[in-house]
Amino acid sequence: MMFQIIKNEWRFLIRSKVILGASLGFIALLIVSILLGNFQAKKQEANYKEAKDFVRQQWNDIKEMNPHGAAHYGTYVFKPSNLLNSLDEGVNGVTGNIIRVEGHVQNEMVHSEASQMQVVSKFGKLKSSLLLKYIVPLLLIFLAFHAVSVEKQSGRLKILLMQGSKPSSIIFGKALSITLYGIGLLTVVVITQSLLNFQNLDSEIIKRSALFFISYSIFYFVICGLTIFFASRWQNSTLALTSMLSIWILWTIFLPNILLSSVEDWHPLPSREQFKSAMKEDRSKGMDGHNSRDERSKAFEQEILQKYNVDTIADLPINFDGLRMQADEDFGNKVWDKHFKEIRKVLTTQKRSLQLCGIVNPYLSLQNVSMGFTLSDNLHHHDFLAQVETYRRRFIKILNDEQTFGGSKTGQWDWKASSDFYKSVPDFEYQPTALSSVFRNYLLDLGLLVFWLFFTVFLLSRASKKMPIL
Amino acid sequence: MKLLVLFLYEWKHFVRNPFKIVAVVLLAFVGFYGMSNGLSLYERQTAEINKIETKVEKGQAEMLSYYERGEKNLKDKPWVDLTQAHQAFRNTTVYQFKKPSPALVYSIGQAEQYGFYKRVELSSSPYDEDMAAELANPERLQVGTLDFAFVVLYLLPLLLLILLYNIKGAEAEGGSLKLIEVQANSSFGWLVARVSFYAFIVWMVLLGLIFCGALLTPVFAEASSAFLKMIFFTTAYMAFWVLIYFLIIRRGQSIIENTLLMVGFWLLFTFIVPGVVHQWVSISKPTTMMTEMIDAKREKKDKLWEEEPAVLQEQLNNLFPAITKSSIAQKEERKRIQAQKRSIVALANELMKSATQPIEKQNKDRNELIDFSFWFNPVSFFQNQLNRLSNTHYDDYQNYRQDIQQLIDKQIELMVLDTWNEVSVDKKRYQEYFYQ
Repeated sequence: MMFQIIKNEWRFLIRSKVILGASLGFIALLIVSILLGNFQAKKQEANYKEAKDFVRQQWNDIKEMNPHGAAHYGTYVFKPSNLLNSLDEGVNGVTGNIIRVEGHVQNEMVHSEASQMQVVSKFGKLKSSLLLKYIVPLLLIFLAFHAVSVEKQSGRLKILLMQGSKPSSIIFGKALSITLYGIGLLTVVVITQSLLNFQNLDSEIIKRSALFFISYSIFYFVICGLTIFFASRWQNSTLALTSMLSIWILWTIFLPNILLSSVEDWHPLPSREQFKSAMKEDRSKGMDGHNSRDERSKAFEQEILQKYNVDTIADLPINFDGLRMQADEDFGNKVWDKHFKEIRKVLTTQKRSLQLCGIVNPYLSLQNVSMGFTLSDNLHHHDFLAQVETYRRRFIKILNDEQTFGGSKTGQWDWKASSDFYKSVPDFEYQPTALSSVFRNYLLDLGLLVFWLFFTVFLLSRASKKMPIL
Repeated sequence: MKLLVLFLYEWKHFVRNPFKIVAVVLLAFVGFYGMSNGLSLYERQTAEINKIETKVEKGQAEMLSYYERGEKNLKDKPWVDLTQAHQAFRNTTVYQFKKPSPALVYSIGQAEQYGFYKRVELSSSPYDEDMAAELANPERLQVGTLDFAFVVLYLLPLLLLILLYNIKGAEAEGGSLKLIEVQANSSFGWLVARVSFYAFIVWMVLLGLIFCGALLTPVFAEASSAFLKMIFFTTAYMAFWVLIYFLIIRRGQSIIENTLLMVGFWLLFTFIVPGVVHQWVSISKPTTMMTEMIDAKREKKDKLWEEEPAVLQEQLNNLFPAITKSSIAQKEERKRIQAQKRSIVALANELMKSATQPIEKQNKDRNELIDFSFWFNPVSFFQNQLNRLSNTHYDDYQNYRQDIQQLIDKQIELMVLDTWNEVSVDKKRYQEYFYQ
């Protein structure tokens, strides 16, 4: 029976010229958004590659340079885009594109896209996610509402019941048929995206796309189910529609804004000045790599002299300056770790609180998994930053080791390493975060979406038992 | 029917509809919440600036005390000679601030995407890494803060929709429309009166909120024009939506049809059009990777140190013609080279300025493209107008960058000329550097 209802509902959707026209228009819009998203991603990728090659070429062109001079010369890392970013841009528009990698300091990303122009869109670019997160649910609300109100107003509902249809079959059949409509649109997005990037598909992208697909499907069922619930329970159809529209506004416009601001108030981050001052303070307790008269430097010098069993640094077979620089780096790294870890801790707590808010707003859970599965949330951004910092430490250590063991003596600041050495220093290679390493972070969001799924099933069961028509 | 009578009827209709009343109250509440977010940011930024200013003043007073005592060298850095101009500048902390406007209470705009204080040194640039914005959750930044501008731009049309959606449609569906058309002299006038009634109520609520906002921060004392502009733009924006909804209602015959069309227009203007424009701008003017600046910062700046003294001298003479007549210019080569080395920072500054020009040009082109979209993208237009009145528009931060650059230029000029003229920095000169 339920299958028959779904079939009838789809027959209606196809026969209705207005809905068919709107659907075709919507599919066209979705395809355009995917094409534009992909075009933008490819252009961005080309820019990224050009900038990366430019910086690397400059590095390779170093003829001769003191290794510590090279540590100050440093390099730059650009944030690459991912294939899935064209579905959901997430935080990429506000986090910056460039990070300077140099000695003595762990820099932050700067020059975000948002800071390079005036405000255009509060809800982001015309990416598939903009349509799938905001517009498709609204379309589903109208369709689901229409599916019930038409039956009620025309009296067909009574006839169906008199013919022996179970209320639960009618209710669930309608909810599923409209959900399937949403899933159809979702399928268009996923298939078009896959076809456009067929050569780059791998198991990781397929898994992420599948989870993206499942999460949206659950959300669409929740939206359709709730609309059917209101439309079937309430006699006043206008009130039913406006109630669901109010829920949509509350979930997508109000609550994300308010809750995100609130979690930031509940778990505040320090100001940049506080953060920098605290790091500077801690940093001042360690060795100053550029100051040989520093007391800690002198103690370290004694330690090394004993280790090499010599009396003066001039007798050392190595360059002590390089060792001191690396010791300075090692201490600095501990300081950065301590302070950046604190920041990450606060951000993780904020994220956890926000995830819990999914209990009252499944849209937030959807938002989290949508960004997460398309590698564009804060977690993936931090993983990128962590990779850059790991690279920075390796990069500086290679330079300091060259200064120390490359053949120069202490105090020979004019000693220069060869061009071959600089060419041998590896470039930064970003490894996209594996889903398996971060999946547990999204379990709560997925769990809450499933909770909403069951809650909707429960509401629909209740509605089918207490339909006012009876 | 007279306008007053229609207004009274509509008032009765309004007060008997709890849904509409709740919607108006909710907007007022959210509007106030939005302003409290603006106030909070205003207070945080002001407090942070005050804290840094106090620290800077303390540092400068400490430096001044060396000159008062006649001590030439710093205690912890005995090799530093404070009577030399370049050392006076290098050892004094100077900041350039972008002080928040009291009108931040209305629109947070792009305030959270940029830094609002910057330590300015001789080798600084307005595009330095420390120009980064305050630490914030990127996911929150991406969604944005719910400020009063958000309420006006996105929620006000929704409130109007809730208040107007059933006008005429309910009468048409109930079959009483013909009767009303007979009773009222003009159905157009009847519709205008009913729509105007709700527009008036919403306008009064908005005016009340704008006035309340002005009391939260010193808007009247420091940004009275922002208050008037806020009223003007809010009114104009409201009129824009009222007109659209009025036209929909006028031609529509059912509640659902009208509601769908109203929601459709709202989605079109708030989501689709800005989203399309944003995507279009990103494709035609992609984000700059700042390679010109990187090149200047590393390669070109480094090469300055390898330049021949004669080349450096020529460049410095072009930049500061006054140094050709300076005391050092007449002295032996060793002194001239030393002064040149100290003045390299000025040439590096010029390099950075030229390197940032193409970046600024790209940003300008990007913004012109957005400006071009305003005739069909009204929400972005009004958003940017509200940002301008609270000094949180892109251009305001561009001006802030220019202020930073001017301060750098001024400091460099003072340092270079005093270095070449062998000015011995004393208390008076130090005060001229930093206290004027």
